[in-house]
Amino acid sequence: MSAKLPPVIKIASLHKTYYMDGGQNYPVLHGLDLKIEAGEFVAIMGPSGSGKSTLMNILGCLDKPTRGEYYIDGVLVSKMNQDELADVRNQKIGFVFQGFNLLMQRSIIDNTKIPMMYLGLTGAEQDERAMKALAHVKLTGFETRLPTQISGGMQQRVAIARALVNSPSLLLADEPTGNLDSKTSDEVMKIFTDLNREGKTVVVITHEPDVARYAKRLVYIKDGLIKYDGDVKKFKAGANG
Amino acid sequence: MDRRIVIARAVASEAWISIKANKLRSFLTTLGIIIGVCAVVIMVAAGQTVQNMINQQLSGIGANLLIIRPEFTTQGGLRGGTQSIIRTNDADAIRNVRNIIAVSPMVMTTRQIAYKSQNFATQLIASTTDVAKTGNYEIESGRFFDERDMRGAVPVVVIGSTIQQELFHGADPVGEVIRIGNVPFTVKGLLKTKGQGIGGQDQDAVVLMPITTFRRRIFGTRIPNRVQMIMAQVSDERFIEEAKLQIEVVLRETRRLKPDAENDFIIDNMTEMLNTIRSVGLYLSVLLASIAGISLVVGSIGIMNMMLVSVSERTREIGIRKAIGAKNSSILMQFLLESILISFIGSMVGMVLGIGLGQIAGAVMGYAVPISYMTVLLAVAVAIVVGVAAGIVPAMKATRLDPIEALRYQ
Repeated sequence: MSAKLPPVIKIASLHKTYYMDGGQNYPVLHGLDLKIEAGEFVAIMGPSGSGKSTLMNILGCLDKPTRGEYYIDGVLVSKMNQDELADVRNQKIGFVFQGFNLLMQRSIIDNTKIPMMYLGLTGAEQDERAMKALAHVKLTGFETRLPTQISGGMQQRVAIARALVNSPSLLLADEPTGNLDSKTSDEVMKIFTDLNREGKTVVVITHEPDVARYAKRLVYIKDGLIKYDGDVKKFKAGANG
Repeated sequence: MDRRIVIARAVASEAWISIKANKLRSFLTTLGIIIGVCAVVIMVAAGQTVQNMINQQLSGIGANLLIIRPEFTTQGGLRGGTQSIIRTNDADAIRNVRNIIAVSPMVMTTRQIAYKSQNFATQLIASTTDVAKTGNYEIESGRFFDERDMRGAVPVVVIGSTIQQELFHGADPVGEVIRIGNVPFTVKGLLKTKGQGIGGQDQDAVVLMPITTFRRRIFGTRIPNRVQMIMAQVSDERFIEEAKLQIEVVLRETRRLKPDAENDFIIDNMTEMLNTIRSVGLYLSVLLASIAGISLVVGSIGIMNMMLVSVSERTREIGIRKAIGAKNSSILMQFLLESILISFIGSMVGMVLGIGLGQIAGAVMGYAVPISYMTVLLAVAVAIVVGVAAGIVPAMKATRLDPIEALRYQ
């Protein structure tokens, strides 16, 4: 029997308050507790202003909580400095953004390689892993194209390949289908489902119930608090919001 | 390989890629540095050329010289009033002053000289053997006149290279006989070429002979022992002022001046004058290079401007890079390297261009333009200093961007 792995994500009484120049405070998160185990597929939903973007930034180590603790793979990250957080983002988290966020002047394969560059992998390793990741999202043959030469759905698949190359513990997708039509959205969400089946931990932040349905577990946030945390099929927005 | 080295190399290649991605803009920015460095290199070369020319022109004068000449009045550009007389016995007195290593009383005149059917008007200088030192004359072939020639007033001359050209068409003149007036003189030596003098005169159109020979065979003796000036060479620059005072004392005594009488001679410190002329040359070089330096400053502001625009334009890119794991140091290095690369390329091209244009200009105008290692050092130093100076502020700006804000940037 192998020892039980720590949860991929564990946050405890997480608070976030924004301090404005005029001396005003805007508390956004009011003490969240959340645990996500390895291999889970979680959707985080909430209306605008609920604090889900703030939560996403903290989960993605782009921002730090005001109070409370955040662990990734059992390691406390909420007290890390800028450089340590950069390493965590590079090695533990695979980001997929709504706007794809590819470098428009760089080829598909170059975009896929950037996280490996900051990891310090050699050229040969980068090539091998990038080709594998692009094959995974069915983009073999498009390596030398520029992002402007492929469709939005394909761009998002490049972003997914980029998110995978450093074998992160967590795939973190922020409105990954926000810029896509429904057919392409389905394709992209199926890739996430497949990756989850292969064992990847996936967290999707969305405001679309259709997207959330691909997940197994739903975390619903409103007014900076978790209002629902459970089976996605049993969630009824009206009842819990 | 060390992970940091791998990352550094990758970041450097990212910097190069983004320079290539904006070819026209990078080229125009580089052009600012090219022009700046090119201008500095040319101006430094021009300054050095001027200094070399000054040094060459001053080569007609020996080191640490004091020149003793008669005091005379000049009115309306005409020599008039009374004029004292400097004599060879003044020179003999000066010879005993401490730290004086060479004394040459000088008689200078213009004479027509002839060899076979050729003739040429030239400056004739009559002096002692010491004139080789005080006048900084070196022998190309043959020998200088010596003490025996002096004592015997032997009809010998030493000639400059212009005379060799004019009378002998470049052939070896040593041993040949030239005529001054009706008197034959044997050419004992040929002087090394000196080039133009301070006033632009040809320092090689000269005939030197022993002063004794000149008196006996050319000038006659209307005023016995009269010379136009005396050149005295001091052993070391440190002793010049002291020697000057000593000479003054000795000359007043020799010339029997009353205690309250003014000096009837003038002692010029040539070293002082030469230093002044040389420093003018140096100031000129510095001035030229400084003016060119302004264009370099403008060029570096161009780089800084481009980098600032680049950072603003690429805010989103910086956000993406940070989100997927770029450390602040990697972002800083990427932008700093971009700026250093641009200034490095600009400096190298500017240096090559500057040296090339300098050589072409030199060839066209007929001057030897020096290429100094200083120029190369300067270009490399400029590349690094300008690159870092122009890149640091934009790079810091890029580093400080908040990834969340940067990702939101459209």
